[in-house]
Amino acid sequence: MQFIYCFQAEWIKRKRSLSSWLVIIGAFFTPVILLFIKLIYYGKLKAGNLNPKFWEIHWKNSWESMAIFLLPIGIILSASLITQLEYKNNTWKQWHTTPQHFTTVFFAKLTVIIVMMVQFFILFNIGIYLSAVIPGLFVKGVSYPPAPIPYAGFLKQNMVFFITCLPIISLQYLAGLHFKNFLVSVGCGIALWILSIASLTWKFSFTIPYTYTSLYFLKNDGRFKQTVSIESWAFLYFIAFTVAGYILYVTKKEKG
Amino acid sequence: MYCIETENLDYKFSPDQQVLKSIDLQVPTGTIYGFLGPNGAGKTTTLRLLLGLLRKQSGRISIFGKTFENNRTAILRNTGSLIESPSVYAHLTARENLLLLQKVYQCPENRINEALETVGLAHTGNKKAGRFSLGMKQRLGIAIAILHKPELLILDEPTNGLDPNGIIEMRELLKKLNKESGMTILISSHLLSEIEKLVSHLGIIHKGKLLFQGPMEELQQKQKQRSTTYLDTSNNLRVAELMHSQGHMPSHHNGMIGIPVVDKLELARLNRELLQEGIDVYQIHTQRTDLESIFMDLVQN
Repeated sequence: MQFIYCFQAEWIKRKRSLSSWLVIIGAFFTPVILLFIKLIYYGKLKAGNLNPKFWEIHWKNSWESMAIFLLPIGIILSASLITQLEYKNNTWKQWHTTPQHFTTVFFAKLTVIIVMMVQFFILFNIGIYLSAVIPGLFVKGVSYPPAPIPYAGFLKQNMVFFITCLPIISLQYLAGLHFKNFLVSVGCGIALWILSIASLTWKFSFTIPYTYTSLYFLKNDGRFKQTVSIESWAFLYFIAFTVAGYILYVTKKEKG
Repeated sequence: MYCIETENLDYKFSPDQQVLKSIDLQVPTGTIYGFLGPNGAGKTTTLRLLLGLLRKQSGRISIFGKTFENNRTAILRNTGSLIESPSVYAHLTARENLLLLQKVYQCPENRINEALETVGLAHTGNKKAGRFSLGMKQRLGIAIAILHKPELLILDEPTNGLDPNGIIEMRELLKKLNKESGMTILISSHLLSEIEKLVSHLGIIHKGKLLFQGPMEELQQKQKQRSTTYLDTSNNLRVAELMHSQGHMPSHHNGMIGIPVVDKLELARLNRELLQEGIDVYQIHTQRTDLESIFMDLVQN
């Protein structure tokens, strides 16, 4: 039960914080841009909506910038900002004198970040759907896309994208807990992301934990042809970083 | 019975920087204990160790009769604290700051309003804590500390940032909490004048060593012992002889005779005796050593 109470408290902390705004803004950023593009090029809407592969194309367009750029950067910022709340407000010392085990505090905070990611995925999916159907409401003669939405495929892709995010979440969480200075954790995250982009064409790019969202997108697009299981690599990194983060956190000499 | 007891508590930030040296703190249950010392004396380090914010290196810490390392959460459940500057989430309101702690302590929700009313912040509504003045933040810090009605309150310089009126209000609030709910309060300060009207017991720490510990009366007794009564008479030499013969340890000060303070009946008797000896007494006055001077003496010696 203590974990649930701790989670509830952590959830209150993120209210009105920059990280909670990032989730909303990040989730609707690409869909809003796509929506405007569709409205600007409204002449192509009718034919586009009638395309039997409409949803697949729209889905791919929505995920392209998200998988390679916005999602990793968004996670780097959000995960770091969540832990930064304690440093910025000088609240670690208060939080660590509450009757909670350090294990509870560690996993409740991590769960908040993961739940925020789920929130992001839900909002992003809603955004994708709305950006597909809203332009048709404003342009005469454009009907609702008749092609069926491939729910199962999209759900599976959502899940795999989510798993590919986990190493970034756990490593940023580790850095955010360990370094008081926000710039260190964000700087490390961005450096690793740049490294991951630079190494996308390298045959061992899958060993770099920040590449998986991009690699999964490229794999779906037929541009990444390695047979390694990205999901497994991502999950193993997630476990390793979480364990390392937990040990570093629990053994920290000064708790605020 | 001691609410807090430490034994041989040592702490080093680095091998050549010993911050605490064998601190044997004894805070009796139900008292207001003032933990006094100049800046850098080791007060905050001691309080951080008591709360588990620093990992103990050597010695023993016992709170409510239980060792801290084996009973951390049980002890913290009954402990409220405010360490140095207030810890408040700037993007949340005062109520939200308390709400998240109410979730953790699982105390009744009406305690939020009670705590806010106690510290005079019930009217702050939707104002974010980040827009509070330092005094308001400090009061919110107190509300956080007392939210779950703890048995023990550990406050590190809680009057920092408060105006004189706020300091008086804080003092009255702490007295009330101690009196009405029997809360044990450990309060640190670097100003004796600030806490002498509040505390019943005192510990004085300097350069990591506990120089004095005991009831406030004990320090006041020391104050009395160090105060001097001066006699200005027509024959100081004879007065010195008389005082010496009666065991009053006279000393000469600027043409006057000084003796350790005696009670008023003894002073009246001495005066009568001097008059009977034919000595004119021009002036008798007592110069009291204030507690601050005793504190300074302890610290400087």
